[in-house]
Amino acid sequence: MKALLVCEQREGKILDTSYELVAFADRLGAEKVMVLVGKEAPKVDGKVYLADVDKFGEYNPDLHKQVVLEAIQKENPDYVVFVHSSYGWDLAPRVAAALKVGQVSEVVNIVDGKFELALCNAKLRRTVSPKGARAVLTVQAGAFNAVEASGSAQVEAIEVAGSSQLQFVGYEPAEKKDVDLGRAEIIVSAGRGVGKKENVAIIAELAKAFGGELGASRPVVDAGWVAHSHQVGTTGQTVSPKLYVACGISGAIQHLAGMKKSDFIVAINKDKDAPISEAADVMVVADVLQLAPVLMEKLRAA
Amino acid sequence: MLVISCIKQVPDTTQVKIDPVTNTLVREGIPFIVNPYDTHALEEGLALKDRYGLLAIAISMGPPNTEATLKKACALGVDQAILLSDRAFGGADTLATSQVLASAIDRLGKEEEVGIVFCGKQTIDGDTAQVGPGIATRLGFTQLTLVDRIEWLDVPNKRIRVRRKLEGRHEIVEAPLPVVITAVRELNRPRYPTVPMRLSAQETPVALWDNQVLQLDVETVGLKGSATWVSKIFSPERDQGEIIGDGVNDPEGTAHLLLDKMLAKDLLAL
Ligand SMILES: Cc1cc2nc3c(=O)[nH]c(=O)nc-3n(C[C@H](O)[C@H](O)[C@H](O)COP(=O)(O)OP(=O)(O)OC[C@H]3O[C@@H](n4cnc5c(N)ncnc54)[C@H](O)[C@@H]3O)c2cc1C
Ligand SMILES: Cc1cc2nc3c(=O)[nH]c(=O)nc-3n(C[C@H](O)[C@H](O)[C@H](O)COP(=O)(O)OP(=O)(O)OC[C@H]3O[C@@H](n4cnc5c(N)ncnc54)[C@H](O)[C@@H]3O)c2cc1C
Repeated sequence: MKALLVCEQREGKILDTSYELVAFADRLGAEKVMVLVGKEAPKVDGKVYLADVDKFGEYNPDLHKQVVLEAIQKENPDYVVFVHSSYGWDLAPRVAAALKVGQVSEVVNIVDGKFELALCNAKLRRTVSPKGARAVLTVQAGAFNAVEASGSAQVEAIEVAGSSQLQFVGYEPAEKKDVDLGRAEIIVSAGRGVGKKENVAIIAELAKAFGGELGASRPVVDAGWVAHSHQVGTTGQTVSPKLYVACGISGAIQHLAGMKKSDFIVAINKDKDAPISEAADVMVVADVLQLAPVLMEKLRAA
Repeated sequence: MLVISCIKQVPDTTQVKIDPVTNTLVREGIPFIVNPYDTHALEEGLALKDRYGLLAIAISMGPPNTEATLKKACALGVDQAILLSDRAFGGADTLATSQVLASAIDRLGKEEEVGIVFCGKQTIDGDTAQVGPGIATRLGFTQLTLVDRIEWLDVPNKRIRVRRKLEGRHEIVEAPLPVVITAVRELNRPRYPTVPMRLSAQETPVALWDNQVLQLDVETVGLKGSATWVSKIFSPERDQGEIIGDGVNDPEGTAHLLLDKMLAKDLLAL
């Protein structure tokens, strides 16, 4: 069994997720070959097809597709594996369609050679196996622990001719988010557990350190500690950020209804059995007033 | 010029449960909603109709009750709604789904030129994010995924410039029409139907296209045309969150553990 791993780089730097692909292939027990549009090969043992980023662009879907197809042609792999990033998101289905094979998206685990994926907002899981001889896969970032970047690749340059209809205009940095919780990617919320109005400022500061917005449970709003626009829950806003951090919030059903669709939920609570633990991906048992300053310090140092 | 929005009816996943005995999805009593990302696909189609006078069309493949979803689209102001429904389409995976949608778009294109096809970035039930790209490839349209803004549309010259939402940055690209665009939620704020719109929508007919109309090879659609096989659906083991650290006695170590976890999940905008 052979896996072609489509590695990724940004501005000359190999992304760590590329080493997660290696871990994935190891778990699968597959022989691995890498392909990358970049400047230098990742630090792995094995063959790496390298296409020059100056020529093919940081991302041009048509040209990158040609590069990957060329590597497939040379290696005849059983699996073509991408990271489920914006890069893999865009490129993998193009490759699958070009090969006329099935694609399995966002694999989180391998069980008995079958692929496990999340569905219904990660509430459920399913196992999937491709029917045909070959398949395109994308792997969830963070699902497989990256192998260490060590080893020396056997690099082979790849050259393809190709043209693209798409015209790259430029990059823009992500803009600062507005106060609209519904659109925030990161929300850090304060609950009654923070104790008093003055302490809400600590959570607001923590939210800022995370690059997110401040949310709140209803008692915090009712007490007049923060404005209602920050309230999360059935009588506040329904949110589904990438990251939701609940600080001193017990997890009442009305609060959960407003935030349980978040991609990743962290709860910081003194009580490890608080109902929020049902919804939390990570439950941190701690006094939030004690933990918040330490977290901020580390975030700022990072 | 046509702007076509592909919308899928999905179960409200916040209410989906699994039968612990049979280990299958409990479907009874679960309300259906329009896939949230598709509401943005629909809205952008309507916005382009308002701004450029394009003809807005909504299409959906699904069982007959999907008509309800298309009625909602009518209430919002689409010019035409088409239900793609046939026994032969049932059990489709993404490959087979894009086959049916693409063939419907192709058919519409024979009447009037298709400029833009909007899809959601993914669905909340299947989550595969493959259908939009699948349509683009089949039709040979340019694919623009993860779009959070249309910078401009030049109808006479048939060009479009969009902004794509990537990790920590945006990419601006320009392409010739026709294109398939997949929408993220930042693209717009979907409108709500007014009562008069709702009422008048009751009279707007939803066209039904079955395989008599589309004439697809039954081997390429539905379960038969599917390249993947779902063998099992189950609840993940984790019901209690992973508990980390001893924050009371060791805030330092706990903070460290937590941040490491978040970094590994790429959750921090550092
Ligand atoms: C009709 C209706 C609508 C509602 N709508 C909403 C709504 O929209 N949004 C909403 O949030 N609520 C809503 N509620 C209220 C809801 O039922 C709960 O009362 C509320 O969510 C509880 O807020 P809390 O978790 O902040 O407080 P509590 O339930 O009091 O929980 C405080 C938590 O903090 C923890 N804690 C205490 N000290 C610390 C510390 N130092 N460090 C860490 N943890 C600590 C405790 O262990 C506890 O778990 C509604 C209720 C009703 C009836
Ligand atoms: C529980 C479950 C598990 C599944 N697992 C798999 C699997 O592992 N592999 C697989 O190939 N298929 C799978 N399917 C089938 C797949 O969901 C359907 O084929 C579906 O029609 C398209 O895939 P998607 O929902 O992932 O759409 P996505 O590709 O995530 O949808 C992107 C966009 O395409 C458009 N779109 C998608 N479907 C339709 C439609 N029917 N009508 C109109 N527009 C549409 C919408 O604009 C949508 O936002 C699964 C379905 C379910 C319910």
